[in-house]
Amino acid sequence: MSDSSHQPLSRGHTHDIVMAGLAKRRSAEKRFRLFGLASIVAGLIFLLVLFVSIIGNGYSAFTYANVALDITFDQAVIDPEGHRNPGTLAAADYDTLWKASLEKLFPDVTGRQQKRALNAFMGFSADKRLKDMVIGDPSLIGTTKTVWLPVDDTIDMLIKGKLGKEEELNERHLLDQAWIKTLQDQNRIRSSFNREFFTNGDSREPEAAGIWGAVTGSALTLLITIGLSLPIGIAAAIYLEEFAPRNRWTDLIEVNINNLAAVPSIVFGLLGLAVFINFFGLPRSSPLVGGLVLTLMTLPVIIIAARSALKSVPPSVREAALGIGASPVQMVFDHVLPLAVPGIMTGAIIGTARALGESAPLLMIGMVAFIVDIPKTFTSAATVLPVQIYLWADSPERAFNERTSAAIMVLLAFLMIMNGFAVYVRRRYERRW
Amino acid sequence: MTKLENSTMERPFHREHRSTVGTFTSDNPRIVCRSVDVYYGEKHAVQNINIDVGRHQVIALIGPSGCGKSTFLRCLNRMNDTIPDCRVTGDISMDGIAINGPEVDVVPLRAQVGMVFQKPNPFPKSIFENVAYGPRIHGLASNPSDLEEIVENSLRRAGLWDEVKDRLPQPGTGLSGGQQQRLCIARTIAVNPEVILMDEPCSALDPIATAKIEQLIDELRALYTIVIVTHSMQQAARVSQRTAFFHLGHLIEVGETAQVFTNPQHQLTEEYITGRFG
Repeated sequence: MSDSSHQPLSRGHTHDIVMAGLAKRRSAEKRFRLFGLASIVAGLIFLLVLFVSIIGNGYSAFTYANVALDITFDQAVIDPEGHRNPGTLAAADYDTLWKASLEKLFPDVTGRQQKRALNAFMGFSADKRLKDMVIGDPSLIGTTKTVWLPVDDTIDMLIKGKLGKEEELNERHLLDQAWIKTLQDQNRIRSSFNREFFTNGDSREPEAAGIWGAVTGSALTLLITIGLSLPIGIAAAIYLEEFAPRNRWTDLIEVNINNLAAVPSIVFGLLGLAVFINFFGLPRSSPLVGGLVLTLMTLPVIIIAARSALKSVPPSVREAALGIGASPVQMVFDHVLPLAVPGIMTGAIIGTARALGESAPLLMIGMVAFIVDIPKTFTSAATVLPVQIYLWADSPERAFNERTSAAIMVLLAFLMIMNGFAVYVRRRYERRW
Repeated sequence: MTKLENSTMERPFHREHRSTVGTFTSDNPRIVCRSVDVYYGEKHAVQNINIDVGRHQVIALIGPSGCGKSTFLRCLNRMNDTIPDCRVTGDISMDGIAINGPEVDVVPLRAQVGMVFQKPNPFPKSIFENVAYGPRIHGLASNPSDLEEIVENSLRRAGLWDEVKDRLPQPGTGLSGGQQQRLCIARTIAVNPEVILMDEPCSALDPIATAKIEQLIDELRALYTIVIVTHSMQQAARVSQRTAFFHLGHLIEVGETAQVFTNPQHQLTEEYITGRFG
C-alpha cells in the first residue's frame, strides 16, 4: 500500500465540494416537491369543479314537485254505465278529474289562452297515477279525496327556480308563477323524492323519463362484457405468458394485441356492425351485440394487464413449485395465478370501466335509439348510461338538463361501486401475505 | 509460502490440463452422468462432464462463480428445461434409467429428485400448506390425517417441528431465513424423494442457521442421496464425502473430500482451495 493510492481523486476536500453543491441539490429537491404538490392540488381542483358542477346541476332531479288536489272521482267521467268493468276503468279520461279540481281552485281563470295554460299545469303522469288508484280500489268512485299529483316539467322547473332569469320568462311563465304562488300559500305544493327517475325507462316527457332502462341496459351489456372478456383475456394471457413457445408467431400476436389496445373504439363498433349484425344476424340495439363489441375492445387491455401481472410473479415461486414436481398447469393455478390476481383485477377494472363509459362503438350497432321499454333479456332493444346521457343532453326541454347531470351522477356511482368491488378483491388477495 | 509454491510445482496436472482428474466413478452409483454438455444458445456452459453420484452420499460441487456447477446440478432434475435456449446433451441416468431424453416425464422425475434453492423460497401460503402441497399434488396421502402425519414427519426430519408446531396455519414467509430454508427442505422431503439437490442452500443464511442446515444434511444422508453446490470450501469439507471441482465449465477434479482438500492432484484445484483465486 503506497501513499499514491490515498491521493484524493478530485482536487480539494470532498466535504467542501459536497457542501458547496448542497444548496443547489436541496433547492432542486424542494422545487420538484413543489411541482408535485401543485399538480395534486390542480388535479383536486379540477375534480372539485367537476363534482360541484355536476352535483349542483343534477341533485334537483332527485326531487319532483307535487300538488295536492281535491279530486272528485266522478262516476259520470270514469264509469258512466256503472259496471266497474276493468276495461272501461282503464280507458276513462282521468285528466278531466284534475282539470276540474284545478278549475275549482282558480275560478277566475277565463279565456282560452289561460284555460289552456291551466290544463297543462299537471304532468304527463298525473293521469296514470289517478288511473292506478281507481283500478286498485274501484270503491273510490263517487268519493272526493286529496291526492298529491306531479306537476308538468316546466312548472317543476319554475318551482325549483331553474327558469328564474327574468328575460327568459314569457307571459305564460308569469301566469304559471302566479298560480304556483297561490298554491304555495295554500301549502298545496311539496317536493318529494323522484321515484320515477330511478324506476322508469326513457320518455319524451322529462317528468316521466327515468334512468332505469339505461342502467339495466348497461348492466346487461357489462355482464356480457365481463363474462366473456375476463375468462378469455385471462386464459389468453396465461397461455401467452406461461405456455406459448417464444417464436415469430407469438411475437406477431403480442405486437398485434398491443396495437389493438390503441385502436379507436368506434372501429370496434364498425367491426361489430359488420360481423355480429350483418353477418351473424344478431338483433340490433341489443345488449348481446353491445357486450360482444365491448368485449373486443376490452380484451387487449385485460390481456396486457394480466400478462404483466403474471410476469411480475417472482420466478422463485415457479421454481419452488416445479422443483417438487408440480406440472406447469398446477404451478400456474396453485401458485402463480393467486399472486397475480390483484394485478389482473386492476387491469380488468380499468378495462370494464372504460367499457361502461363507452358510447362511440355502441352508436354503430344501434344502441343510440330512443328506447322506452326496460330491457328484459340480452336480445331486447336497449341503451346504456353514456348513450342516455348523450340523448338527454341533446334534448331541448329544460328539465332534461338536470336529468343529464343526474344520469352522470348515476354513472359515476356505478363506476365507484365497480371500483370498490375491485379494491375489495385486491385487498382480499393481498392480505394473504 | 515457499513450501506451497513448491508443492504446486509437484502437481502432476497443470493449469492447462482440462480433463477430469481423480475417480469420477462410484461403486454403488445412484446417478451416472456421461459426456454431459450444456449449451445456453451458442454458449457452451458445461463441457463433457463424467461423474457418478453414490448412494447415501453427500457430494459437493465447488468452484468459482460461473463455473457451471449450478447449471450441472439443474441437469439432474431437468430444471434447465425451464430456461429457453438451454440444451443438455449426453447421458444422465438414475438407477440405470435414462432421465435426459425428451420422452422422460419430468413430473415423476422431480418427485424423485427434490431441490432446495439458493434463496429460501417458501410458497406464500401457510407453513402447513407449504409442506402439504407436494404430497397433495402427487396423491401421497389417502386422507387428511395421513397428510398431517406426513407434514409432521417432514418437519421433524427437517428439525423444524418444535419451532413451528404451534403456528402451522401462519404464513411460511413469516419465518426467519434459516427456518424458511429448513421449511423448504421439509417441503422437499415431504414428497419422499431419493435424491436431494441443494443449490448453495446456506449462502443467504447466518452462521448459526448454516450450522443447523449442515447438521441436518449430515442426518439426511442416511435416507437420501444429496448433491450440494456450495461456494464455501469449509462447508464442502464439513458435509460431503466426495467433492467435485468445476472450473470454466469443466469438471477439473473429483474424489474423496479428504483427498481433494488435503492432496489435490490438479494445480487449479490446489490454487482454488488455498484461496489463490475464486
